[in-house]
Amino acid sequence: MEEQRQITVIQTAAILVSTIIGVGVLPLPLFAVRAGESAAPLVTLFGMAVASIGLVLITWLGMRFSNKTIIQYSEDIIGKWAARLGSLLIIVFFAVLTSLTAREFGEVVVTSVLKSTPVEVTVIVMLLLAAISTRNTITTFAYIHHFYFPLLLVPILLIAFLSFKNAEVINLQPIFGNDLKGIMMGTMTIAALFQGSFILTMVIPSMRKPEKAMLASFWGMLIAGGLYLLIVVAAVSVFGAEEIKNLLWPTLELAKATSLPANILERLDAAVLAVWVTAVFTTLLSSYFFTIYAITQLFRLADHKMFSFFLLPFVFIMAMLPQNIVQMYDIIENVGRIGLYITIGYPGLLFMISILRKKRGNQNGDESMDKIG
Amino acid sequence: MPFMKGFKKSNKKTKAAAPSQKLAAHEHDQISGNLEDTIAFINDLLGANMDLTVRRFHVFGKYQAVMYYFSNMINQTVVNTDILKPLMYIPPHLEGKNLEIQQLEEVLLNDTLYHSEAKMESQLSTLVEGILRGDTVVAIEGIKEALIIATRTIDKRGIDQPATEQVIRGPREGFIEMLGTNIGLLRYRLPSSDLRIESMEIGRRTKSKVAICYMEGITNPELVKEVNTRLAKIDIDAVLDSGYLEQFIEDNHLSPFPQVQYTERPDKIVANLLEGRVAILVDGSPLALVVPTVFNQFYQTVEDYTERFLMMSAVRLARLVALMFSLIFPSLYVSIISFNPELIPTEFAVAVAGGRAGVPFPAVIEVLIIEVSMEVLREATIRLPQQVGGALSIVGVLVVGQAAVAAGFASPITVVIIALTTIGSFATPAYNAALALRLLRFPLIMMAGTFGLYGVMIGLILIANHLLSLKSFGVPYLSPLVPGNFQGMKDLIIRGPLSWMKNRPSFLNPVDKVKVGDVTAGEARNGSDSAQTPSTNEKEKEG
Repeated sequence: MEEQRQITVIQTAAILVSTIIGVGVLPLPLFAVRAGESAAPLVTLFGMAVASIGLVLITWLGMRFSNKTIIQYSEDIIGKWAARLGSLLIIVFFAVLTSLTAREFGEVVVTSVLKSTPVEVTVIVMLLLAAISTRNTITTFAYIHHFYFPLLLVPILLIAFLSFKNAEVINLQPIFGNDLKGIMMGTMTIAALFQGSFILTMVIPSMRKPEKAMLASFWGMLIAGGLYLLIVVAAVSVFGAEEIKNLLWPTLELAKATSLPANILERLDAAVLAVWVTAVFTTLLSSYFFTIYAITQLFRLADHKMFSFFLLPFVFIMAMLPQNIVQMYDIIENVGRIGLYITIGYPGLLFMISILRKKRGNQNGDESMDKIG
Repeated sequence: MPFMKGFKKSNKKTKAAAPSQKLAAHEHDQISGNLEDTIAFINDLLGANMDLTVRRFHVFGKYQAVMYYFSNMINQTVVNTDILKPLMYIPPHLEGKNLEIQQLEEVLLNDTLYHSEAKMESQLSTLVEGILRGDTVVAIEGIKEALIIATRTIDKRGIDQPATEQVIRGPREGFIEMLGTNIGLLRYRLPSSDLRIESMEIGRRTKSKVAICYMEGITNPELVKEVNTRLAKIDIDAVLDSGYLEQFIEDNHLSPFPQVQYTERPDKIVANLLEGRVAILVDGSPLALVVPTVFNQFYQTVEDYTERFLMMSAVRLARLVALMFSLIFPSLYVSIISFNPELIPTEFAVAVAGGRAGVPFPAVIEVLIIEVSMEVLREATIRLPQQVGGALSIVGVLVVGQAAVAAGFASPITVVIIALTTIGSFATPAYNAALALRLLRFPLIMMAGTFGLYGVMIGLILIANHLLSLKSFGVPYLSPLVPGNFQGMKDLIIRGPLSWMKNRPSFLNPVDKVKVGDVTAGEARNGSDSAQTPSTNEKEKEG
């Protein structure tokens, strides 16, 4: 374990950003606009704030128990059996999240590019890709995220900045929207899109300097949230709230509406979608990796590789359960809201109990914390 | 090599029986002092060979002796004048003295032989091995040791320009087959007491000399140890080239990507040694291995560093583009033509469709056919005798390509794409890396044919993930890009000025990290700025 402490702060931040940003970016403006119309950027900001609370909680917990993952330290905090129940919930949740991500992207590909390919094929291809890639150590996992990080920034920034020439500021007003209650609900939906940040609980024990995890989560949240905000602002300012309500994947439409200077590529959407495969892949990899890594630790096994293909049929069947896109998005929103209890509520509970019971990590962790403090 | 593990085990069982069985049986036999016994033993082992010379004579005119050597491996003049002659004539200052047989040994080594590399040896098996290596052995009646004198002279070719790594600006020497000459070339460029050259014999039958070179005080000792352990584990019949060793010491046998770099340039080896790498030279191979290797070495050339940095940065960028071309260009073409023609500008799309109008196959089949024929052509050009090679390849590429288009077999755009790809793969300086990309192109084309751009991306992600998980002697393959290292990035995509690159690559964990002194890095050009400015010159003239 000690040898494996190789992940740097930059890599951790990259893991966070590329895990958070995935297929969720495509319908993001739609979710935000449904909740708050022209207040969509505000909704995104609120969602980011809620997600930050969760991230700060798990970072604090991770730094308190800098040698353990959430599966391991939850047992220290609330006892073996209660913790195992909690861990099981987390595992199931992330397995579901994996399958939904794969299904969502499968639908996107089938709808917009490979129109005659069955959705099962695109889903299984994505899942296979993720499963093969989980058969690596956590260090390689970090390398993978680090490597794809630029590929994720470029298309978002490109689309956002190129589309600003069609933007109308009037579309963004009134900034505070008209419906406060809707904003609250929407905040939760957007916050659910940040759930990938939970991967941090697995990464911290392998960080070279766990005491700097907070810095990583700050940057991770700032970059991911900033990109989310940028996309929402760009989509709303180009299309306007009412138009977006009729679009399933406004970000993709944004890509269609923009074109590169000098007419190198006539349309961007297929190219953007192709590059976006990497972003979806990193998200999928994270949740898949999280699932099998958590299972390994729950059963106290040493090698997580054996689970990567064992889990595949289950995830695939779950991915195929929704009947159509509409039902899928209903499930995604519901699962996302339930997920908030698991990714924010549960760590919050653990955090409070650990403070009340004055539980801390092992001696080494304490020392390093004290030095910093 | 994936089955190596299985083979290794079964090899070990047969180890004792395999090499020179008769010699192994007499491994610990000593020379007896009885000359006839020794002669019988050696004749029994080697006597059947027509090139073995047995020469009986008398040392100092009275002691019976015999001399053995393989006549084509030695220098006849040296044997005649430096060995045979002094052994026959007693040295003038000893003339008339009565030599005891016990004294003779001393006298021979210290007063008689005119050869620096001579020693006494009593083990019979060592003597035989010596003869086989090209040494001359002299056994004398009554002495329980025999003289073994290094007389090996094998004909060798001259030092040429390296054929596969030519440069416009830079040294023109390349390694040759002889290990001794190669080590000489290294020592000539690196006259440092820190240069260590360890030696090892690998190959049960070939007994090839392997030299492991590194810089003491720069190279990480752990790395040297690891190289030694990996090499020591090799148990193989013959090592005919350094490529044999490469396949045993690489980390991942199944990977298409080379994890060991080879070069025939001494200057490249020296540069790598100074960065903290280990070089492995094998007797009989003009190609030296360098470990650990990271991916960026495969698109760097010697010229990158000998020419000025701005120009070479641009050239290196072009090379990178060529590298990407050779991997993804055909698959991009296939996926755009068959899945997303809306991506390319309309006028061009119409032109492409017009060109493809008569072609009966889908784009993926068309590209695959042309690609495969290109591979066949390329392979044929290597095998062709040089006199017809050039002419035939022109006929092959130009005429067949043109005819294929005219016959409606392929569209002109396809031919253009394949030609660009092929040329692109030649721009990669390392042949083995170009080979890997050449191979990976085919699965990518098939992915493009089935899933379009989506498939290409999936394929690229698989390749990238494989690269990210790959290691060469513990060093991540894509360093210094991932894991990121700012110092290393100055020599990654561009080639930074030499004064920027103050440190050795940190991923090699060198003992001594600093390469360029602070003064040089900052102020080399500041000191004598005004030495030759026109104003000062004119003043001097006036005065």
